Amino acid sequence: MAHPRFTGGRFLGTGIGLRVPHYDHILAEKPAVGWFEIISENYMVRGGRPLAVLDAILDQYEVVQHGVGLYPGGSGGLDMDHLRRLKELIKRTKTPWISDHLCWGSVDGRMSHDLLPLPYTFEAARKTAENLRIAQDFLEIPLAMENVSSYAEFNDDEMTEWQFLAEVTEAADVGILLDVNNIYVSSVNHGFDPLEYVDFIPPDRVAQIHIAGHSRYQRFIIDTHDHPVIDPVWRLYARAIERCGPTATLLEWDSSIPSFEEVWSEAKKSEDWRRWLVEQKGVGHVEA
Amino acid sequence: MSRLEQLQREFFKALLLPLRGSSRKSTELTPSDEGHAPEFFRIADEIIKPGPELSAAERLELYHRQYWFRILDSLAEDFPVLRRMAGDERFWELIEAYLLERPSQSFTLRHLGEAFADHIEAAPCLDDSRRRWFGGIARIEYAFMKCFECAQSALPEAVDLGDSEIELQEHVQLLRLSYPVDLCWGWQDFTPAEGIEPEIIHIAVWREPSGRSRQERLEAGEVRLLSRLRDGIRLDVLFDELPEPTPSEDDITRWFAKWQGYRWLGVCGKEGAQELDRGIGWEGMDRMSSQAVSMTD
Ligand SMILES: [Fe+2]
Repeated sequence: MAHPRFTGGRFLGTGIGLRVPHYDHILAEKPAVGWFEIISENYMVRGGRPLAVLDAILDQYEVVQHGVGLYPGGSGGLDMDHLRRLKELIKRTKTPWISDHLCWGSVDGRMSHDLLPLPYTFEAARKTAENLRIAQDFLEIPLAMENVSSYAEFNDDEMTEWQFLAEVTEAADVGILLDVNNIYVSSVNHGFDPLEYVDFIPPDRVAQIHIAGHSRYQRFIIDTHDHPVIDPVWRLYARAIERCGPTATLLEWDSSIPSFEEVWSEAKKSEDWRRWLVEQKGVGHVEA
Repeated sequence: MSRLEQLQREFFKALLLPLRGSSRKSTELTPSDEGHAPEFFRIADEIIKPGPELSAAERLELYHRQYWFRILDSLAEDFPVLRRMAGDERFWELIEAYLLERPSQSFTLRHLGEAFADHIEAAPCLDDSRRRWFGGIARIEYAFMKCFECAQSALPEAVDLGDSEIELQEHVQLLRLSYPVDLCWGWQDFTPAEGIEPEIIHIAVWREPSGRSRQERLEAGEVRLLSRLRDGIRLDVLFDELPEPTPSEDDITRWFAKWQGYRWLGVCGKEGAQELDRGIGWEGMDRMSSQAVSMTD
């Protein structure tokens, strides 16, 4: 189980990403969803419709913030304006924790808008942990780092990705958002054993898990979030919760988005796995 | 310079190189037979480890095309009228030149077009009148984006009009353009522009209570008053010191009624709430996301 300092002591069950094609359904039908994850950067604005719709969602649901622009691995440090905007939004959403990606993405204030891979070096781990400590101190909320899907490795690498993730999160004392689909994607792209990755993760840091689908091409996999979760990823999920206990689980479906019911029922499959865990392995507790 | 900084600078430099080869063919940019610059391969070999299936350059290429696909799509989406007026070929030429010259400087892709109008107004591939026409269109289209996310101050009650400083709502943007570019919104292509002489026009772009963006022409005298409202002013002060040429009382009454009707005025320093109209669609809401762009093999 995640240590409460990584989750603010909140246990959340199954959630899905809040996405435009579902707004009408959610606002009109108020479906019973555990929680929604929002992309912080879409709501880091001064006013207008983004905040109006967010307020309507917040009236009904618990929301967790997930970011794509913190870039904690940036050698040039963090963008303090970004942190200030993020903190404003945190006040509004009262998110129990916030997550972003273990990556970098900008140089001299110029943005890639991508989650770029870090070299797995001690130097990069040190710099990233330093940035994360600054962010966590400033934001005054538990921070969880998500492992990204990657398509490249570096000549500089001195350790595996899972060692790097553990190294950084321990040095910064932050939580982990474990994306088991990303582990699978990277394992195919780089040829490693995804189970070895999952087995190495410090379980008490895992505040949240992401599940998602991807696109398989002939020679690589791209993390497109536009398909259902595949069986090997469900198996990694099962292994992850076996180690970490029942963990807040979120399905990401961001492209070719089907109906709300379809996304929600895909996400709910994670509950079958969590139930299996309790029944077969006696791990965790039955969710209400 | 640290090793990490060096690597990130090199990687970023590669991302900013122009899109080439088959990656370019799957966009709407004018195709080119040119391959990657030697710089691209040098960076790939120096920093990236070859994978089980892909070479170092192929791995870098995946990031390179993701970068370009994402920003090309995002920028093009924000300038539909410019696209119709410039025609596809010219439009993509402008987009590519702009993105090569000025990479994104904001955390959100919504702001990607913030300097596009300036770029167009200096674009060597356009003649002088097109620079001003297309630049003006880009200004209006970017103003639509900007007013989408501006703050909203409280609408003035009768008592506020006498007692408080009144401001122009942040989302009301005043543009001064050198051709009647607002006409383009009613045109299918740019041919009707032939023979239209330059003419200074003033446009307001604002967010309606529903959340939808709108534009309308302003009278010159009206703009002078609205500009003074920009930073907040008491109405008695505003009307005591009228700018030259002095507008008539009738004009002022008419303008003021319009501004109130359009909800352009707000009370300085008092936050207002945005209504949520669910009937107008959700265009422009989800610009940022964590997934990769899908591609062909
Ligand atoms: Fe994820």
